[in-house]
Amino acid sequence: MHKKPSLLSILDILSILLFTAVLILILFFTPTELTMGPVQKVFYFHVASAWGGMLSFILAAAAGIGYLVTRKVRWDWLSLSSVEVGLVFGLIAILSGMIWAQPIWNTWWVWDPRLTTTAIMEIIYLAYFILRSGLDTPETRARLGAVYVIVSVITVPLTFFSIRLFRTIHPVVIATGGDGGSAFNMTPRMLLAFIASLVVFTLILADLVWHRYRLAQLQNTIEEEVN
Amino acid sequence: MFPIETDPSFQIVIRELVKRYHFQPVLNQLSLTLADGDFCILVGANGAGKTTLLRILATLVRPDRGEIYLGGKLIAQAPELRGEIGYIGHQPMFYNDLSAVENLRHYAHLYLCPDPEILIQNAIQAAGLGAAQHKPVRTFSRGMQQRLSIARALLHDPHLLLLDEPYTGLDTEAAQSLDERLQHLHQPGRIILLAAHQPGRLLKMASHIAWLQDGKISHHIPAASIPEVPALQAYLREEA
Amino acid sequence: MKPMLHYLRVTWQIFRKDIRVEWRGRQGVPVMLVFALLVVFLFNFALQLSPNLQAGLAAGLLWVALAFASTLGLNRSISLERESSALDGLLLVPVDRSAIYFGKALSNFTFTTLVALVLLPILSLFYQQNMFHLPLVLVILLGVGAYTGLGTLLAALSIQSRTRDVLLPILLYPLALPILIASVEASRGILAGQPLGELQSWIYLLLAADILFSAAGLMFFETILEE
Repeated sequence: MHKKPSLLSILDILSILLFTAVLILILFFTPTELTMGPVQKVFYFHVASAWGGMLSFILAAAAGIGYLVTRKVRWDWLSLSSVEVGLVFGLIAILSGMIWAQPIWNTWWVWDPRLTTTAIMEIIYLAYFILRSGLDTPETRARLGAVYVIVSVITVPLTFFSIRLFRTIHPVVIATGGDGGSAFNMTPRMLLAFIASLVVFTLILADLVWHRYRLAQLQNTIEEEVN
Repeated sequence: MFPIETDPSFQIVIRELVKRYHFQPVLNQLSLTLADGDFCILVGANGAGKTTLLRILATLVRPDRGEIYLGGKLIAQAPELRGEIGYIGHQPMFYNDLSAVENLRHYAHLYLCPDPEILIQNAIQAAGLGAAQHKPVRTFSRGMQQRLSIARALLHDPHLLLLDEPYTGLDTEAAQSLDERLQHLHQPGRIILLAAHQPGRLLKMASHIAWLQDGKISHHIPAASIPEVPALQAYLREEA
Repeated sequence: MKPMLHYLRVTWQIFRKDIRVEWRGRQGVPVMLVFALLVVFLFNFALQLSPNLQAGLAAGLLWVALAFASTLGLNRSISLERESSALDGLLLVPVDRSAIYFGKALSNFTFTTLVALVLLPILSLFYQQNMFHLPLVLVILLGVGAYTGLGTLLAALSIQSRTRDVLLPILLYPLALPILIASVEASRGILAGQPLGELQSWIYLLLAADILFSAAGLMFFETILEE
């Protein structure tokens, strides 16, 4: 049977500890932004989750390439795990984006390129699962899933640029002025918290993907025993 | 491909073929060699993997492991070798809205057959479809479709002919016509591999028989030697 | 015969066969056209469009109708190969299998462009717009090229699924979004009288999409179809 690797246990503990540390950092250590108020602090997790979501996408595509080249099913487990975890990170990014947007721009949604691209990415992730659910053999699911995720990753830069270009032509006037950009100057403390969030979320991503991968591995072992 | 090369050393060599579905091996280190002029009947239980083997040989399915050599060259590395292969599967592979002639013309152009129109007419006549040649294929009976399918598979004069249960759904007349066709094709310059669930009288025509069991070819012997393998004889009697 | 020449002949033959089957049955292009018109009517009433339509809305209407109609055509085109396993016949041909992709992409492109060219005078009539601009035809060619290029690839993916009829739209639309945005924006600009020079970015985006998706077709088509 597969024993839980000690590295994974270490990663679990590290993730929890560092997450708590960053949370404390954000809540108590970072200054409150002048115009936006305390809600601005959502920004740290918002960007970190979006970063996690994008990273998962790339990881999924890389794993897809891995499968197509080696045809070893564990690459598919990695791809599937990345997409699943990426779906959750993307959702967190969108929700935190909405929470941040509401008090600042008086709207729950802004069609800004990053948020919109993230939303589209979520739909692509869901389509991935719909695709897989209609396929009969694990080999087919792996093969076609890999192709789909690779082709999808190619479209992401296209999507981002097209929406960005769209927004420069159709700017949206928001309550406090400006085009919905999120620019503000970061003090050194904010920068520290920001980078720390990115690092911690990457760690959490790796942790969750690994757990999900192990789940797929164990599932496979059970199916083999049953057959 | 053209003209047909009668090379007595032309062989199909299948080496350690593995194919898994749902992680279970359907073909498990299968090896088989067919020599020029062989007419081999492939028998095995339903679901044993006969269709999978034929489809892998036809390059429609990619094996997980193993090699296939056609005339000494690896199939996987040479797509042009597909020109040496003719395949008849469970489906006829036609466009139902097009006529018999148009379908054959489509294939003739795909394979770059020389003098396509003459070739097509010869094929139509040999298949006994002269009267119906301009009718859409959707109006054809199963027997007629099968005859056209054989015409299609032979159009580019392939060295290797793969047939998967070609007698299914044929009436006696059509079956007889297929028998004649196969007997005529059984000669040097061709290799025939025919999967049959109930080989029956085919064994009189064939030169060899191969028994697919547990993902391997358990027995590959000349048809005349069947009495020497009681297990096989019993199996064949059961299936008949 | 040189393999390259054989490859081109095969691509051409597949294209020719698609045209011939369409001509014989005439169930593809007319259905696409009727569907496109229905979409126009639907949007006309749903969005209460005025007879004096702005350039932007006319462009949007054109491309939404084309996208929906094209998806029908893509589905039909690949289903044609599935009945009687004619696709197996194409796979048996001794050339690189991306020829099948290019042949079918070419026929899909042709059918959708035909629908577009018929839509132009009709929309001109309905909305008192002169939609006959040569630059617009260029944008249509580029946009439809990219859309059908991507669609042909994804159609091959989706027929393998049990949910094949609904899967293509789900896979295609999120990935085709940049193509649609670029096509609509470029079309809008042309209808509003902007010179092509100002619309460069959109044109380049469409060109990039055309190239990217053709490359994807070249690379992945065989993998998609080979069990």
